[in-house]
Amino acid sequence: MAESEKKEEKQKKLKKVSKKSLRSMQKNHQRHMLRTSARIVKYGTKGFSRNIWLSTAATVVMSITLIILFVTVVASVILTNTAEMMKDKIDITIYFKPNTSAEVLSQLTERLEEDSNIKNVETSTSEEEYKKFLEENKTSDEIINILDADMEKMMINKMQATMRIKVYDVDNLDSVKTIVEEDKLFTQYTDKEKVPTYDVNRAEIATITSWARIARTGGIVLAVVFLIISVLIIFSTIRMAIFSRREEIYMMKLVGADKRFIRGPFLVEAELCGIIAGIVAGSASYFGFKFLAPKLQSYGISVSQIENVLDSNKLILVFLAFIVAGIIIGRISARLAVSRYLNKA
Amino acid sequence: MILLDSVTKQYPGDAEPALDSVSFHIEPNEFVFLVGKSGAGKSSLIKMITKEEIPDSGKIIVGGIDLDYVKKRHIPGYRRRLGVVFQDFKLLPRRTVYENVAFALEIAGMSGRDIRKTVPKVLELVDLLDQAKKFPAQLSGGQQQRVSIARSVARQPKILIADEPTANLDKLTTAEIIALLKKINDFGTTVLVSTHDESVVNALQKRVITLKDGKVVNDQKDNGIYKLDAAPAPKLPVRQMQVPGHALKPRPGVVPTRPVATQGIVRPATPQAVTKPTAKTKRKVI
Repeated sequence: MAESEKKEEKQKKLKKVSKKSLRSMQKNHQRHMLRTSARIVKYGTKGFSRNIWLSTAATVVMSITLIILFVTVVASVILTNTAEMMKDKIDITIYFKPNTSAEVLSQLTERLEEDSNIKNVETSTSEEEYKKFLEENKTSDEIINILDADMEKMMINKMQATMRIKVYDVDNLDSVKTIVEEDKLFTQYTDKEKVPTYDVNRAEIATITSWARIARTGGIVLAVVFLIISVLIIFSTIRMAIFSRREEIYMMKLVGADKRFIRGPFLVEAELCGIIAGIVAGSASYFGFKFLAPKLQSYGISVSQIENVLDSNKLILVFLAFIVAGIIIGRISARLAVSRYLNKA
Repeated sequence: MILLDSVTKQYPGDAEPALDSVSFHIEPNEFVFLVGKSGAGKSSLIKMITKEEIPDSGKIIVGGIDLDYVKKRHIPGYRRRLGVVFQDFKLLPRRTVYENVAFALEIAGMSGRDIRKTVPKVLELVDLLDQAKKFPAQLSGGQQQRVSIARSVARQPKILIADEPTANLDKLTTAEIIALLKKINDFGTTVLVSTHDESVVNALQKRVITLKDGKVVNDQKDNGIYKLDAAPAPKLPVRQMQVPGHALKPRPGVVPTRPVATQGIVRPATPQAVTKPTAKTKRKVI
């Protein structure tokens, strides 16, 4: 009994000791990793400043590519928005006989809204049309002076009620056409002399639609192409920078440095390039856009969406995106370039 | 400490093997010269020991480690156990003398405090403490080699391997470097020096392993004298090297040189101080 108790005690002691030593080993390992990381950052920063010309070249190239990327994304958004905006302006106007009541118009609207292609229907009675007319001509003294009560009545009686229809798919207006031409209520109230045009703007609509499509798909394709080109350019620049230091990599290997210790400072250098390039490119893009936005707007190009983003709290996110993009591109390029020499040596 | 057993290596495209069944054993604390003409296989052999190359056959055991079992991911760890000095110094050009030496300790995971204690001591040993902030390009060849030695001994390895450490240096600096290597050997480190400079070998009179066409043709345990077959006789006067604590005994016909102490390392006397050796001496010294 006594012996077995002793054995148990021994085993307990051993367990305690092994736990302690394991804990201290883990602590030592953690300390070692922290120390190594700190050294990697230190040498990366030093390397960046000591190879200032190569670092500057890599940063400039990275800044330019990030700006190109920003321009591509912005152009895609602007084109899509402008096309959408223009497309939104397209509507079909149906003219009704004067004095068609609001109730009838709402009935007609209900009929139309049964069609899933209908996005929005705006109606306007004769009175409303007259008010619009007055609003549009309030500065014209001639018109205002000649208006009296009789004249007003006559005008209202002459004014046609209208219906403005906006659709989701401008290429597919046949269903709308069928309702307007064949529905009894419509045929009863529509002005036969003013036939709504479904085909006149087809060409225009088609152009805008295709532009919108090109802007959307082309923007994505362009962004991807520029991303690939930019990664290649940055990769080549960083590879050149590392090529000039391949001997250094070889020396470090011979002295017994771990891969992580050799690769680390190069990655830190590339990441520093990425951070600086992100800040430079972000600032340049922001001020460049602020400068060009009014000019673009004067050409009827929609920049409001981008402006809204840049003027809000999201600006910080945009800058962060620039910096993160710079870091990722730099890190990937440096990793690929270093591993080439790291595995060779 | 270092054991080679029938090590053979043939590079693709070569008619003859670079190393042909090379076997020898270096004891702990030994100072051994590995000599031979260019192409004899010295560098190949050192590359095998540092695991830069792998032999086609045979066994290499260094410091009790069988290199067959050192996997690729363990090579850095294995290399950190050795001190290696290269012919072309292999210093990191963008780091200062201090950082070059500290690098060897940093990769071993030594704490910053210990590094700050160790590096000045090692730099003092190689007499370069005042050059700590300089970059390698600002130093002479001899000074660069001393930095390289400082880096290799900073971790206090049990084995120091020097591949043609004096090949790019003048005679005076060569003497300094060899003296330094001897000093390190005196501290208890096993030193293997490859060279084709016979004056270096003959001055120290240590064990000499001679390689020829990839084979060990001679292994002189003590007082090894090396004579390079095809080498022309060096011009007179032949300078003798003096190592602190290892003063050479005067030989018949040779007037003992007066050592000139410079910065802790005993430099050989100026050539004018040495009398012209006789034909007999010349034969012996060479």
